Amino acid sequence: MPLNYAYHPGNTAHSGSPEVAESMVPLAKSLGIKLTNLEGATSCGAGIIRQANRKLQLALNARIFAQAESLGLEIMTPCAATAGNLSEDLFELKSDPNLLAEINDVLNKTCGMQFQGETSVNHLLHVIVDEIGLDKVKSLVVNPVDFRVASYYGPNMQQIGFCGGDDVYDPNYMEQLITTLGGESVNWDSRMQSVGAPSLLSEEPTVLKLSASVLNDAKSEGAQLIVSACNLSHSVLDIYQGKASQRTGLRTNIPVVHLCEIMSFALGHHNTRFAQLRTRVMVIGD
Amino acid sequence: MSAVRPLLVLFGSQSGNAEDIASKVGKEASKYGLEAKVKGMDEIQISDLAGQKRIMICCSTWGEGEQPDNAEDLWTSANAEGSPSMVGVNFSVLSLGDSSYDLFCESGKEWDSWFESKGGFRINQRVDCDVDYEAPAKQWMDETLAKMGAVDDSGVFQESLVGDVKNHATGNVASKAESEPKTSDAAVEISTDGDRSMVILFGSQSGNAEGLAAKFAKQSTDYGLDTEVADMDGFDLSSLSSKKRVLIICSTWGEGEQPDNAEELWKKAVSASPGLLTGVNFSVLALGDTSYELFCESGKEWDKKFEELGATRLVDRVDCDVDFDKISQVWAEDALASMAAVDGQGIFHEEMVQAIKESMTSDSTGVSGEDGFIVPDLKSESLDAEISIFRYDPSSSTTGKDTWICSLPGHMSILEILRILKNTQDGSLTYRDGAVDDPTTAITINGRHVLPGNLRLDKAAPIRDGGVSIRIEPLNGFEVIRDLVVDHWALETKREASKPWMVSATRKGLSTPQGAIGSMAPLVASRLHSITDIHSYPILHSSSDATTHSEEYFGPSIISHAWARRNDPRISPIKKKEIESLLDSPNGIKAETDLSSIRRQGKGTIIHDALLNCKTSTLARTGYNGRHGKHVWWYAVTVKSSGRVNDSVLYRQVLGPIGLIGNLFTGVTARMVLGFTRTGGKMINDILALIAPPAGIGKMPRQFNSSIKNHHEVIAIFNEMDGRF
Repeated sequence: MPLNYAYHPGNTAHSGSPEVAESMVPLAKSLGIKLTNLEGATSCGAGIIRQANRKLQLALNARIFAQAESLGLEIMTPCAATAGNLSEDLFELKSDPNLLAEINDVLNKTCGMQFQGETSVNHLLHVIVDEIGLDKVKSLVVNPVDFRVASYYGPNMQQIGFCGGDDVYDPNYMEQLITTLGGESVNWDSRMQSVGAPSLLSEEPTVLKLSASVLNDAKSEGAQLIVSACNLSHSVLDIYQGKASQRTGLRTNIPVVHLCEIMSFALGHHNTRFAQLRTRVMVIGD
Repeated sequence: MSAVRPLLVLFGSQSGNAEDIASKVGKEASKYGLEAKVKGMDEIQISDLAGQKRIMICCSTWGEGEQPDNAEDLWTSANAEGSPSMVGVNFSVLSLGDSSYDLFCESGKEWDSWFESKGGFRINQRVDCDVDYEAPAKQWMDETLAKMGAVDDSGVFQESLVGDVKNHATGNVASKAESEPKTSDAAVEISTDGDRSMVILFGSQSGNAEGLAAKFAKQSTDYGLDTEVADMDGFDLSSLSSKKRVLIICSTWGEGEQPDNAEELWKKAVSASPGLLTGVNFSVLALGDTSYELFCESGKEWDKKFEELGATRLVDRVDCDVDFDKISQVWAEDALASMAAVDGQGIFHEEMVQAIKESMTSDSTGVSGEDGFIVPDLKSESLDAEISIFRYDPSSSTTGKDTWICSLPGHMSILEILRILKNTQDGSLTYRDGAVDDPTTAITINGRHVLPGNLRLDKAAPIRDGGVSIRIEPLNGFEVIRDLVVDHWALETKREASKPWMVSATRKGLSTPQGAIGSMAPLVASRLHSITDIHSYPILHSSSDATTHSEEYFGPSIISHAWARRNDPRISPIKKKEIESLLDSPNGIKAETDLSSIRRQGKGTIIHDALLNCKTSTLARTGYNGRHGKHVWWYAVTVKSSGRVNDSVLYRQVLGPIGLIGNLFTGVTARMVLGFTRTGGKMINDILALIAPPAGIGKMPRQFNSSIKNHHEVIAIFNEMDGRF
């Protein structure tokens, strides 16, 4: 029986990082995951809406939870920022009955919905390792990823209770997965460091330094490629790496792909894109 | 630890004072579980020192900085070629002298330097005594003996045991003078053995106190406690006298009255004899409603009465208003950890509380702590450990890391490991040493900011394949002085610049029998206290990833403190405005780029929530102006407009034409359009984002985002909760 999840593609899968949504679909099929679209799901707020109004973001995300609950499903997303933000709000609602009642009043009035607290939030990575198992993944590998890979988790989902069976401070799920796909995992320090995505447009100088330090650390440790578990960070690390290098003088040239992409390549999808990536790995860098 | 733990007490004496002190040390040592041999320096060979694990030296100085007569030969042998190494020797020196001489205490200083130069570990700092030596010598003796008592069989100093050894020794003096001298092993261990019982007594009218009692009883099992929940109705007060741990949760009814089920017990308590509850450790959670004049009165009465009856309050009473969930949970976590640190004899081991909390954090999957928790044992099996330490040599400006692969006891603290490595492997290894809870000793282990004296090896990282791998680095966000030592001065300079002091408003005080005093609602006080109750400001500062890359940013420790001050009801309006201008400044809360980094660390949830509220407040005050305000504003507006964030609108509205042109020339636009290293950029969409006209005032372009299904629900939520967007 296939695993069935209410699917949230992440904030920017429809815009800044469409490759994530595109690679997720064939990947899920190969892994035996049924993706039930959460039609009508909003942005998770990315930690930004709550800066203006915390309860507004809670209400928007409670609507997503109520939708999943009505389907009788747990939520899954390939974006670490979305997983972190949704988990944070879910935790908040579940641990404060008065707050939940207040938000439910709003949901009832505006959408005719109620959330009873009967769903949970999962990142794709934890579903793969905890539910599907690396042995099954290994048996499905068609194109081994024979690169030296730096795995990037970001800070959002590396919180107590948000990261499945992985360790909060010293995770290794992604490293195990990369090894399973045929790659070589690189040991590096910056894998949980923020790249400042929520402040990309407002605090650009700091964000560029954060991004440059992450990219440079991966390069310095001998990585040929960064694989990110976060749609937002994935975009920032790719799009801003030239500018980050100009501002900091650090070496930052390195291909950055999302976990969904590298997995779908390894499992035999998007062969042309994989070939392009191979070329980029050979060409980019110094 | 073995039953016999030898200590060598050496004296070099001219007039007999050093010998007297050495003799006293020898007598006192047994209280610390040590078997002392007192020897004159002329009664021993230098080679005899090499095999020792514990040596205390009392040495006077003679003439112009000379060794006393009975020490001369030993000193000559010590400085001869081929004198033995003192690696593995834990030592401390008491130096006697006379400050009227030029070379004051010179002999003791020489012995102190010699032991260090030979690789010995200075377990306690040398004390130099003038002619009035009794008091400082006594203090040196007590401190050094406690530390020597915490040196285990393998010669490793276990700093976490010092408090227990000291308590044990003090207990012997007070009440067990004739008891066995070598029982410190049992005294220093808190385990699941022995009496772990606890009573949670509830006085409840509406059922809230009863519900909390049941909830916390369930949580208490995670702390290794065996808890009985008891209704105050019909409870036998005298039965508490044999208990070691009691928690009281009591609501208040009507105008400060006890709830119905507590009335009878309260009458008994009022008439009970003082001293009835001696030996009982307790804490009170009071439930109430601030709209009543006598807020939480019943809980306050129980708190006072237990103290009058001789019980010991381990955690201060917390008074809860109607919104009691979070605050009661905070109290429970403190109270349960403290109760868990009461051993089978009823002795409270305060130094264990933090370790218990740390264990709870590292093992649990959430605040509810549903994972099994074991009260930390002081002893555990050896682990294979790979320890990598960041190194920085300022003289050559070189960085790198050194890695050791070794087998170490799992219970050993990281600070103890650093000491061993320094004493036995690399004397140049530099770190801040100090007490287990010294906030300035903070370092980073596998990305987690910790106090190394409080963290056991087996809790420092997940155990994989029977071993642990840890990376030890200096705290980020600070200049590194050498290896793991960072310079806190920049943080202190920022703190000074933030003018963190309180300036109170003149206001009416609360009239009490002791006179008029200022007051604030208990709930407000608890909230503010929770924000500022930070054990290590360097750790909090470091928890933000932005502090490393933004030198001017004040950082979360200063901002959270300022935010708490700003919300203190006692503050003057002028000071409040001054703080708000600091918070609203470019180096204030806006400079924090990602609060999720802070949430991950230690007490992060409370600080995260405080900083988020601070940000919301700043945004409202500054009218969503500037890039920061526009970013938040337009993010919310685009989500309301279609249900999804609209990147192109965000870029245009926040960066403006100049910012967009900047991106064009720095390659950002090209990478955005081409999906440069990614594999699926939609060129046409992204180009459209650049050439589309700017959004009109009050209008939202929808040309890029199709609306989500049931979009009207999203609009309704926005309209219901925040009409600004």
